[in-house]
Amino acid sequence: MIELNLKKLLNIENKDQTLDIDIKIKTREFITLFGKSGAGKTTILKMIAGLVQPDEGFIKVNGQLWFDKEKNINLPPQKRKVGFVFQDYALFPNMTVEQNIKFGMEKEDKNFLKELLEITELYDIKDRKPVTLSGGQRQRVALARAVARKPDILLLDEPLSALDFEIRQKLQEKLKEIHNRFDLTTVLVSHDFSEIFKLSNRVFVLENGKITRSGKPEDVFVQERLSGKVKFSGEILGIKKDDVVCIVSVLIGGNIIKVIATQEEAKSLSVGDKVVIASKAFNPFILKID
Amino acid sequence: MNKLKGYIKNINSSQNLSIVEIDLNGIDICSIVVETPETASYLKTGNQVFVLFKETEVSIGKNVQGLISLRNQIPCKVTKIEKGKILSKIDLECKEHRIVSIITTSSVERLNLSIGDEVTAFIKSNEVSLMEI
Amino acid sequence: MDNDFLTTLLLTFKLAFITTFILLLIGIPLAYFLAYSRFRFKPFIETIVSMPLVLPPTVLGFYFLVFLGTESMIGKFLEQFGIKLVFTFEGLVVGSVLYSLPFMVHPLQSGFQSVPKSLIEASYTLGKSKLETLMKVILPNIKPSILTGIVLAFAHTIGEFGVVLMIGGSIPGETRVASIAIYEEVEALNYDKAGDYALILLIITFLILLVVYTVNKKILKIEDL
Repeated sequence: MIELNLKKLLNIENKDQTLDIDIKIKTREFITLFGKSGAGKTTILKMIAGLVQPDEGFIKVNGQLWFDKEKNINLPPQKRKVGFVFQDYALFPNMTVEQNIKFGMEKEDKNFLKELLEITELYDIKDRKPVTLSGGQRQRVALARAVARKPDILLLDEPLSALDFEIRQKLQEKLKEIHNRFDLTTVLVSHDFSEIFKLSNRVFVLENGKITRSGKPEDVFVQERLSGKVKFSGEILGIKKDDVVCIVSVLIGGNIIKVIATQEEAKSLSVGDKVVIASKAFNPFILKID
Repeated sequence: MNKLKGYIKNINSSQNLSIVEIDLNGIDICSIVVETPETASYLKTGNQVFVLFKETEVSIGKNVQGLISLRNQIPCKVTKIEKGKILSKIDLECKEHRIVSIITTSSVERLNLSIGDEVTAFIKSNEVSLMEI
Repeated sequence: MDNDFLTTLLLTFKLAFITTFILLLIGIPLAYFLAYSRFRFKPFIETIVSMPLVLPPTVLGFYFLVFLGTESMIGKFLEQFGIKLVFTFEGLVVGSVLYSLPFMVHPLQSGFQSVPKSLIEASYTLGKSKLETLMKVILPNIKPSILTGIVLAFAHTIGEFGVVLMIGGSIPGETRVASIAIYEEVEALNYDKAGDYALILLIITFLILLVVYTVNKKILKIEDL
């Protein structure tokens, strides 16, 4: 059980804003922090890791106090068992893949190292240096390195945002696999709806420094309960007027679909909007792929 | 999207499907959903719901006689016609509800639709969705 | 080559090597501190470190004599231990360290500042202390900066004239370094002798730099693999 009670004064875009959150995360849960850029999500991760100090509050992990302002407790990051995957991967350029992963191990555990290299499919390139690796490979090294320490919490700061769609899909699977295999408690910061729906048990929505909504992804994001059984979340790419209707192009996963809307409806829609596309189970065709 | 408010009058379920009758203040609309009162908490007689159906799923009939399988047959009056090259948008009024239909322009001409006409709006029950309020 | 010539050259390089070594030891903590700490008097310290860049060498030499010379408080204190900083090799070392300080600190500081913060944070979250992080993560990744610092400090020390003259005098075998020797030979109209000094210095410093840059290129190439 991880209890986070954090207050911090932030300066976002030259405006002062207080970050004020109070959440409990169950062991082995996979939760996502969702919110606009700069909302403070990375700061929250850094506070959990001990890289940034909250102004007030406490952090309790499995009964151990990592931070408590009143009791003047503030464990340095070295003493907290966290695995942090940074947005820019932060791999050590002077070390090989294997050396990077071993770096966080307190005692070198050859078997565990081999297991990690295999599960992240890095065994064949374990002697290469980061500069020679692709984005997806670097991300896997960062992940393996963070997990090598057998952390109490795994913190992921938009780890997949710089990768292209296919690699992202594969790595999402890997994340889930690693989370389950090593019984981790994971906090993910992400913008990507499919990632959130695929991976998390719960989502926390951060707005103006506070958690405004929380719950299962399908409860938090699909505002109303709709009877339609065919539902996707996506993003509007374009709205084109045609005759008396509008054709709305929506990006769903890696696919672009077109949906008809009335011009009236289209008035309330704009490019970039996150939408749910819903239809009834009775409606779609099923065509087999040979 | 047509979105009308009413309340659930009757629910008839099989194992996974339900036929839900909704009372829209005098007009009845019927919806088939892949839900039952066990799987969807909002499916309770008396509950208020939104009824949703796409404009493109509303057919229009004029001087219709005979038996038609379509469950929902709503008497309306044409209040507005917007003709495009291929499609036309028809605004219909029924009691205090506004229903929008999109049909082919050639059909508008074939039916000789004009403002004020008394017509019937047809919607298949499997094209009607429900939304919890 | 006469003995005198060789002694002078050896003295020059001995001074440069020792100064550079000491500057490396002092420079790393100082540059680390300047790169990573934030406190109110930082601009003040940074200015002091940078002064030798613009201060006329003779001014530095002058104040050296005033504050560390035999008549000064510090000078008298050190004399108790038999240490004299004026007209001695030890004095030259201290003077050179002060004079070449920014040439070591600035490249190092630049290097430290160029290390992405996330690398350091990653090291902390992986359980490594600040010192371990410095030794295993930061320093290995700023090798070019370290090399630049060494080269600049070394070359700058060899080229010193004003400070050395003020605080060293020109005692053969003790404080008569090549730069002073050239000057004296020219004054005595021994252009040949002066030319010998100049040429040797030119060739040796050229070779040192060449070796250094070639090695640097090799280091970078190996790290790319």
